[in-house]
Amino acid sequence: MAYRLGIDVGGTFTDLLLADEDTGQVFPVKTPSTPADPSVGVMLGIDKICQVAGISASKIDYLMHGTTVATNAVLEGKGAKVGLLVTDGYRQVLHIARSWTPGPLAGWLIMVKPDPLALLENTFEVDERLDARGNVVKPLNEAKLRESITKMVKNGVEAITVSLMNSYANGAHEERIRDILKEMYPDIPVSISSAILPEFREYERTQTAVMNSYVRPVVGRYMDGIASKLKERDMSTHVNILRSDGGLMTLQTAKEMPVYALVSGPAGGVAGALWVAKQSGYENILTLDMGGTSTDVALCLNGTPSLGRETMIGAQRYNTVRISSLDVRTVGAGGGSIAFVPELTKALRVGPQSAGADPGPACYGRGGTAPTVTDANVALGHLRPSLIGGEMKLDVEAATAAIKTVGDAMGLNTVAAAQGIIDIVNENMFGALRLVSVQQGYDPRDFALVAFGGAGPLHANALSKLMGSWPCIIPPSPGLLCALGDLSTNFRDEFARTFIRTVDKTTAEDVASALTELGQRARRWLDDEGIDEADQKVEYQVDVRYHRQGFELTVDIDAAQILEQGLGVLGQRFDDAHNRLYGFKLDTVHEIVNVRAIAIGTTSPIALPKLEVGGPDAGAAKTGENEVYFDGKQMKTGIYNRAQLKAGNQIAGPAIITEMDSTTVVLPDCYAEVDAIGSILIRPNN
Amino acid sequence: MAKVSMPKYNTVAIDPVTLDVIENALRNARYEMDAVLFRTAMSPGIREQHDEFPLICHPDGRMVVGQFGSYVDSFLSNYEGTIEQGDVFLTSDPYKVAGAISHANDWLVLVPIFRDADTLIGWSSMFGHMTDVGGKVPGSLPTDATSIFEEGIVIPPFKLYRKGELNSEALNLILNQVRLPIWNRSDLMAIVAACRTAEKRIIEMCQRFTLDIYLSALDLLLDRTYRAMVQLIQVHVPTEPQVFEDYIDDDGRGFGPYKISCRMWRDGDKAIFDWSETDPQSEGPINFYLNEHMFKMFVGIYLIMVYDPQILFNDGFYKVFDVRIPEGCLLKPRYPAALSCRTHGLGRIFDVLAGSLGKSAPQYWPGAGFSSSPHLMYSGYDKNGEWYQLYQIGFGGVPGRPHADGMDGHSMWPVFTNIPNEYLESYFPLLIEKYETVADSGGAGKNRGGNGIDIQYKFLEPGDVSIHDDRWLTYPWGIVGGKPARRGTKILTRVATGEKIILPSKCDNVHVQIGDTLNYITWGGGGWGDPFEREPERVIKDVKGGLVTLGAAEAEYGVIMDSETFELDAEATTAKRAALVEARGPIKSFDFGPPLAEILANCKAETGLEPPKPPQFAYRVGGFSLKAELAGTSPDE
Repeated sequence: MAYRLGIDVGGTFTDLLLADEDTGQVFPVKTPSTPADPSVGVMLGIDKICQVAGISASKIDYLMHGTTVATNAVLEGKGAKVGLLVTDGYRQVLHIARSWTPGPLAGWLIMVKPDPLALLENTFEVDERLDARGNVVKPLNEAKLRESITKMVKNGVEAITVSLMNSYANGAHEERIRDILKEMYPDIPVSISSAILPEFREYERTQTAVMNSYVRPVVGRYMDGIASKLKERDMSTHVNILRSDGGLMTLQTAKEMPVYALVSGPAGGVAGALWVAKQSGYENILTLDMGGTSTDVALCLNGTPSLGRETMIGAQRYNTVRISSLDVRTVGAGGGSIAFVPELTKALRVGPQSAGADPGPACYGRGGTAPTVTDANVALGHLRPSLIGGEMKLDVEAATAAIKTVGDAMGLNTVAAAQGIIDIVNENMFGALRLVSVQQGYDPRDFALVAFGGAGPLHANALSKLMGSWPCIIPPSPGLLCALGDLSTNFRDEFARTFIRTVDKTTAEDVASALTELGQRARRWLDDEGIDEADQKVEYQVDVRYHRQGFELTVDIDAAQILEQGLGVLGQRFDDAHNRLYGFKLDTVHEIVNVRAIAIGTTSPIALPKLEVGGPDAGAAKTGENEVYFDGKQMKTGIYNRAQLKAGNQIAGPAIITEMDSTTVVLPDCYAEVDAIGSILIRPNN
Repeated sequence: MAKVSMPKYNTVAIDPVTLDVIENALRNARYEMDAVLFRTAMSPGIREQHDEFPLICHPDGRMVVGQFGSYVDSFLSNYEGTIEQGDVFLTSDPYKVAGAISHANDWLVLVPIFRDADTLIGWSSMFGHMTDVGGKVPGSLPTDATSIFEEGIVIPPFKLYRKGELNSEALNLILNQVRLPIWNRSDLMAIVAACRTAEKRIIEMCQRFTLDIYLSALDLLLDRTYRAMVQLIQVHVPTEPQVFEDYIDDDGRGFGPYKISCRMWRDGDKAIFDWSETDPQSEGPINFYLNEHMFKMFVGIYLIMVYDPQILFNDGFYKVFDVRIPEGCLLKPRYPAALSCRTHGLGRIFDVLAGSLGKSAPQYWPGAGFSSSPHLMYSGYDKNGEWYQLYQIGFGGVPGRPHADGMDGHSMWPVFTNIPNEYLESYFPLLIEKYETVADSGGAGKNRGGNGIDIQYKFLEPGDVSIHDDRWLTYPWGIVGGKPARRGTKILTRVATGEKIILPSKCDNVHVQIGDTLNYITWGGGGWGDPFEREPERVIKDVKGGLVTLGAAEAEYGVIMDSETFELDAEATTAKRAALVEARGPIKSFDFGPPLAEILANCKAETGLEPPKPPQFAYRVGGFSLKAELAGTSPDE
């Protein structure tokens, strides 16, 4: 018997989902997050889930984990103080960036440009030079280098990036500097650009390698915490970290190259939401993952998430790196977001400051007094007085008292203040959803909305209404969806080599042997990951462009096809694709840019248990009726226990559906229906 | 004049969500045009630097998304043929589109968008700068040209595609005139592909929403901007005339500076911009054919960006502006005046615009910026006998702004970017030994002007260099107490002799040998506000980062710090600042540096170059004697 464990660490709760590899049976567990050292919460969860499943921890073969540690460090500006070593004459490479200012004309007038992630005062020049072919123009001056390093470390840098001109063609100088740094300061992590992103364009490569350093200490501490605690329990589990593009990588790689996992956590949520939506027959979805501190949104078209060539954190150009990732947008709005009324404007504002998990919202009764979105939900009666299967009672009085401070500052009663807080946080999330839909030219009315995260189902119906996105889908165990996504992800890694040669300067044999060599590495990786040969798959690609074009198109082709048909076939396929995409082709030489092997290890499918089928009447699940506020009016509202619902049950709004880890609100003019696997689908009455 | 029939449609009510979706879908189509272009173009100017301008229009020709405003109107009034489904127009003739493009290097593609053969539903268009269009010098921008005939091939508007059929013979004829035909072919086809992408999106939108809804939405968007602009003008353009003058330093033929003068006032609902005190056209190539519509767009965007950036701009507001440019002046030269080096005029217009609008409320406006697009051309045959040719746009200092410093070494053109130096080194025989901004080159101010850039090129093959630059003579001015920035300069160092040569700001055919180096140093942006009010911590941060020197911190800002630890000496700073304020006296609204006469007198000593001779306007163009017609005044008169 083998088990696979998915783990998602959110700002407030840590969710775990354990799957039995043989039966597909799953076990969920939820524990409070421990922000000071998140691995503590993870281990508590592992102990608990083993107990629930009745297994020993050593039975867990694979641990798949999406983490927001890196995302949060960037969003909060709490990354490391980074030192940067560059080639002589290039100290300002990040400061000048690409000289870009925004459109329209005169956009420079209102542009705001933050400091680079490595400050100029911590950037030092190195006496060395390579040319574009990687030849040494000027050897590395090591004596001078050592002086600069000493000065830089005196400034208190916590991580160092080395990014030299043309290092994509030859990493030797960067590697030598890394060795010197290791010898001088073995405790400071070093990232070299030729290892992180061996591509030309010095700004993008440097920025990406600096971002790696920026998040490396915080991610490293976290990964070490997990590894050492697993070791304490004698677990020999393969730990895999979800990458930003939805693939998986090893814990060791994640420690060294965390920039590949900048949006790891959200990627898991999107994968899980898509899995659930497909079960209900929807392939065009907007996802809304509302947690304690932030909300992530994304768009999936025809069953595939939008994938970008870049990772951008918090819609900030200068937090962008050239690593592909799911197009997930984040806003600082969550259940823990704090409402306040600035003295000057007397306007009601919500977030981005959050009460976090500790002390948390006032209603948690852990000493928090700040009025949060969660408190507003409690004050309105949308959130019932107990959370998480009764283990945690909510303090209604404390919540109401906290909201009253907002009402007093604005001259509103508590109900109106609470409704105002909810409306504003909904508006903030609405803005993020518009970014991925309307502003990309998609009509949100063509999409279903899938809501998850601890607070998502409380707000989902209201957002569906704002967006016109129906149905509003609340997956079974909405808090566990990210963990479900982690669990349903295939193993995937890419093995690529920059080739950059025109077809007249290479041969079919050269290209074929490069592909074959990469394919062997891909197989070795799959073997190392312990993937059965039957579950292994390797795909091959060659990136081609017209010589002197800036971007390439990818041609799917393997070594055998190239040897059989010759290099000409690459040009033909490229011309066809170019003509199809852009309406023209050119009679000029083709250039091979990258060759790549993609290793895929398919994981066994998981099956959520089917719900028992019942009729439209949901009476059996009804636990009572309460007076609850909607739009300032008190209404008689049915309260339902989700665990008692059967497939086919219908519930008329207004209604509150509670379960272990979340609460679903059905608005007065809407109704809910339960489908075969237990997803709740909410639609408007008319 | 070509005739087009407008589609028939009913104006219908639009719900706010649909309006929102259409507006954003249009904007997205415009970004998609860029994306297609960057993916398929070949020249570094377009591929890496984004020297291109996309546009999507209402069927009546008004721009609904884009940057420079629409020229469809000017095109139609100069074109005699038919407009049919499947047609794609190409032109590079500034004189045939009323200056919509202003030199022959810009190739403009225009696509009428039809739903069916009888129903025109819009226009998509884009122009981009070709690295070469033939003519007497590589890059086709001869600094000594005296007519457009020296500036390469000039393509009158014609159908590159007629009803979907490519006119390949005409295209081959054109490409036979240029030095890098594969680049022009690729860039041109990429521009066509970008326009076709927009065409596809517009047709889809009309299908999705119906023609009535789509066109009613465009009308609403245009009207919304019109109403906003009427209000902006009422508040921000005074009825009292404001006059502002600035200069182009020289014409590439040894004459200058040339005056650009704008008189601005409001009369009721209309804002008037009168350029009649601008110098007459030049015999050299610095004439800038300014399209009136385009200028209206410039003004509108500047007002929007300064006072209310939330307003979306389009052509809706043209009727609130009246732009008066007399024929035969520098901004509306008579055919066949040379135009190729118009970039300085185009850039300087923005300084003049900021100055005119800023005269009555300088605290809201920036000083002079990096108002040009300096070029470097480098070409020749490499050791394999292959022709190489580079056209590169340089950047400099953004002026200090009311809310923040100006950026160092940035573009003032929207979404332009620099060419990565690794790109240059891998495709051209070059080593870029230095790429950094010049400390102290930005004008001092409460908000500092951005620094200019020093790029040190080392040439790895023998070849020829051309330079196009300006502001080597007059200063980028500062505003509300901000100081002027440093001027630009170009220094060529001969490897054989070690000799340093100051190159003129506009020159061609400078032969370079393997190992010669060129320091291309651009100018900074003017400062904003009193430098003695700049927080000492910000000055210290600049010194630590190498953007301002210790000496300038003391002399320009009155900030005194420890030269090792950079710790502030608060007492000494207070005393120093008091003394400097006393010595300076009251601050100036505009600080242009020394008077022009003094600048000219010190020219040789300060810049290493001879001062330009006063421009002579008594020459004949197209059979007219301009001196007789225009009472032009040059600065020395």
